[in-house]
Amino acid sequence: MRSDAAPTGMVVRICGAAGDGNIAAGQVLNRAVTRMGFRVMNFDSYPAEIRGFGKSVAHTRFEVERVWTPGDGCDCLVALDDAHSISETARLRDGAIVIYDDRPPDWHEEDRSVAGFVVPGMHGYGVPLRDLSTLATKGTKARNLVAMGALAGLVRLPADPFREAIRGQFGSKSEEIREGNVRAFDLGWRHATERLKKRDRFDFGLAAPVVERVGKAEILSGNEAAARGCLDAGLLMYAGYPITPATKILEVLAKKLPKAGGVVVQTEDEISAIAHAVGAGWAGTRAATATSGPGLSLMVEMLNLAVMAEVPVVVIDSQRGGPSTGLPTRTEQSDFRLAAHGASGDSPRPVLAPADVAECHALTFKAFEVADAFQTPVLVLLDFFLSNRIEDVSGLAEAAARFGTYAEKRATAGEGGYRRYALTDDGVSPRAVPGTEGLFHPATGLEHDERGFPSYDGPNHVRMSDKRHRKMAALAARWPEPEAVGAEGPLDLGVVSWGSTIGAATEAMRALAARGLAVAGVFPRLIWPVQERPLRALSERSRVLAVVEMNHGGQYADEVERVVGRRVLRVARIGADPIGAAEIAEALVGARKEPGDSTAETAETAETAERNGTGGGQEHGT
Amino acid sequence: MGGAGEHYVIIGNGVAGNRAAEVLRDGDPEARVTIVSDESQPFYYRHLLRDLVTGAVGEDRLGVRPLSWWSDRRIRLRLGQRVQRIDFGAKTIYLAHREKLGYTRLVVCAGSKPRVPETLWASRAHLTVMKTIEDARALRDRFGDVRHVLIAGGDMVSVRTAAAFLLAGRKVTFLVDRDAFWPIEPGPEQRAELAAALRSRGAEVIEDDAVVAVEPVGDARVVALKSGRTVRCDVAGAFFGLVPDIDFLAGSGLDLERGVLVDEHLRTSVEGVWAAGDCAQVYNPDLRNWWVSVGWGNAERLGEVAARNVLGDAVRATGPAESVLRCDGVVVATRWWVDLP
Repeated sequence: MRSDAAPTGMVVRICGAAGDGNIAAGQVLNRAVTRMGFRVMNFDSYPAEIRGFGKSVAHTRFEVERVWTPGDGCDCLVALDDAHSISETARLRDGAIVIYDDRPPDWHEEDRSVAGFVVPGMHGYGVPLRDLSTLATKGTKARNLVAMGALAGLVRLPADPFREAIRGQFGSKSEEIREGNVRAFDLGWRHATERLKKRDRFDFGLAAPVVERVGKAEILSGNEAAARGCLDAGLLMYAGYPITPATKILEVLAKKLPKAGGVVVQTEDEISAIAHAVGAGWAGTRAATATSGPGLSLMVEMLNLAVMAEVPVVVIDSQRGGPSTGLPTRTEQSDFRLAAHGASGDSPRPVLAPADVAECHALTFKAFEVADAFQTPVLVLLDFFLSNRIEDVSGLAEAAARFGTYAEKRATAGEGGYRRYALTDDGVSPRAVPGTEGLFHPATGLEHDERGFPSYDGPNHVRMSDKRHRKMAALAARWPEPEAVGAEGPLDLGVVSWGSTIGAATEAMRALAARGLAVAGVFPRLIWPVQERPLRALSERSRVLAVVEMNHGGQYADEVERVVGRRVLRVARIGADPIGAAEIAEALVGARKEPGDSTAETAETAETAERNGTGGGQEHGT
Repeated sequence: MGGAGEHYVIIGNGVAGNRAAEVLRDGDPEARVTIVSDESQPFYYRHLLRDLVTGAVGEDRLGVRPLSWWSDRRIRLRLGQRVQRIDFGAKTIYLAHREKLGYTRLVVCAGSKPRVPETLWASRAHLTVMKTIEDARALRDRFGDVRHVLIAGGDMVSVRTAAAFLLAGRKVTFLVDRDAFWPIEPGPEQRAELAAALRSRGAEVIEDDAVVAVEPVGDARVVALKSGRTVRCDVAGAFFGLVPDIDFLAGSGLDLERGVLVDEHLRTSVEGVWAAGDCAQVYNPDLRNWWVSVGWGNAERLGEVAARNVLGDAVRATGPAESVLRCDGVVVATRWWVDLP
């Protein structure tokens, strides 16, 4: 039984060279603690290159309560490679644990051993990882699982869930490999419990927490959840071209979609991929593609075609650092402008942004409904962090329902004089798929009249542009408005954020509320078109209104300023890692006065300034 | 000599080592200065360990200095890092976690460790010692369940520890071993005074007997005495004094006897290596003999002398300033372990 004094969770980072098994060890840890009942968030970082190059880190945070972010700092560093792990010690919190191999095959030169960087206040534990791995498996590859055993034994997490997780993880391998890995875990466990003199504060008492959930928990990455959302929505045609960090969606669907009766095409490039999807969507099939920023840039013209021809299609964009090929394995939220506005001409289309893994499923699922109901391409913005992070999720089917339901408006056969683009109040015209008897119509990228025939008439162009924008207004009116969360009444701070940054913003708000500030936030999932009323309402209550996002200068902040008609505090930065709650809180608390006030304290932190180059809390005028 | 290329390494995290590091930093601002110790706790007051056990003080009271003291002076603390061996030819220290640490000049201030008489080595696992904060933490964590403590030996630490345990309401049996009372050697009158002092506080004092074996029975210990008597207790403490903690130097090429042999300038037999504090056995050319010392003040003074000589001075270490210590109100002369058979 857990004692009241037991820790509520911890942040573990498993670091090594790519190929050392860090990610596999992290997966075992995720599975095990999820089985125990902890809430989990995992976020791995690895180099863009293939295995054997560079540093790779599996990052897992598990807690008794809902986990919103990977956490600031680190409670336990598992060092599978000393050279790469040394820089990780800078993240360690006071009282943290470092598990390292104290029997490496060669002596480390000075300052090449992570143990040498364990400073007072931390607790270093040497474990003969390679030796025990060799004892268990006749090879050193299982040292990652020896380390997991040592970790579990040291902090007294129950061993059986780990053994089950290992057997599950290596279920497709031979029994010899599977059980060898379990032996490796057990040797690490035994070493920790029998040989190590425990000095740290982490003791989970060999007991699992009691956590209430809806349904059975499973662990999914954002990409896996998005792929599941596609399947659950009835996707039948997926076309994609591999690109980090979206490739996993293609991989999952390549395995599962054909079994569901659908088709997956790996195309020669992104233009072809979206062309396939738009064609299938035009034909009346639920179709999708997924890409990242560089691919989305190539897809813009086909997106325009889908807007103009009013073709339902779902495009998932997992953002990464840019521009161009940029930073393939680093996270960023800098595709908002491209997704919402990147186009020739006026090309309105909805953009959805999930906040967590469960919402990757829910909003991808919902994107197909919206695409069909409003006859439009719909973009779903993930990012490297969200695509790759793993969370325990449950009750996925129920979660999507809170974003409303959207029915398709179909034309029925035999009406005669079919006007595919009939002007209606909400802009949505009854749609017929090609080949429907009596409802033949042209579909083109050229501006057209209500029947679909090309028209270069100015007043017609105005009417059709208005129609396409009316669809967006109708969607904004029907999509459930985001409710303000947090304090009621007048606010010291109002916070707006979107996508994967919502979690960190939420934790930051809680921290500030605990410090006595009146704080509330509005976190839209439909980020374009902008639902203006909730933003204006929050702004009216807030002395300072801040927009938190991960891009240079604040792309979404521009939208918010346009809506609320005042300057906002921009907590925006780019950099290698997801923005953390502590960093946001620090930026927000430094900006208690109205932006634009010459006496206002800057919201810029040293860290954000350094990473951003121009500062993270700059104030822009409209 | 000195400057950015210099790397002074001090082995030992006690008063001698820390004083040496301070002097070296002050005398050579550009050099690297590193303290290496197998203890994880930064420099702390060992005399408060007994109070840590009883709960009279918390760990926050133990630290001699804040961590910023070292960081401000750019003195690197390598704590929790055990020295396995030293290659004096290559000026390289081999740390137990398999890291090589180079130095240009080395000061050994390794201190001392609890002595357990050879006759009790077989029972060592069942005896409690109290030299480090780890020892004290281990005893503190179970002190609530401890009702009866047997203290065997009778060094300076033991008397004060017994007094603290009595004050905390524990039953104390104090077995005065003839082999004990190191580093102090009280005469018969002083020993009687100490025994009377302990009895007056409620301790049972056993004289003219000795421990021959200790056996665990559950969480308890059964202590067999030479007289045939047995004492059942919760903790069997071994307080037979201290010996230099220099096992890691065996076979290194450094001249050792009971401690590290050094000349009056605290130079060892190896060029570029000095020793100070409890572990040093200092030659007195006038007496043509070696002397040793114990106590905070002596160790601090020797640490300073060693560091000044490392920096190029020729300071001579004189005999211990504190040859007389007070133990529970009784004045005793220190002889440390020089007269060991």
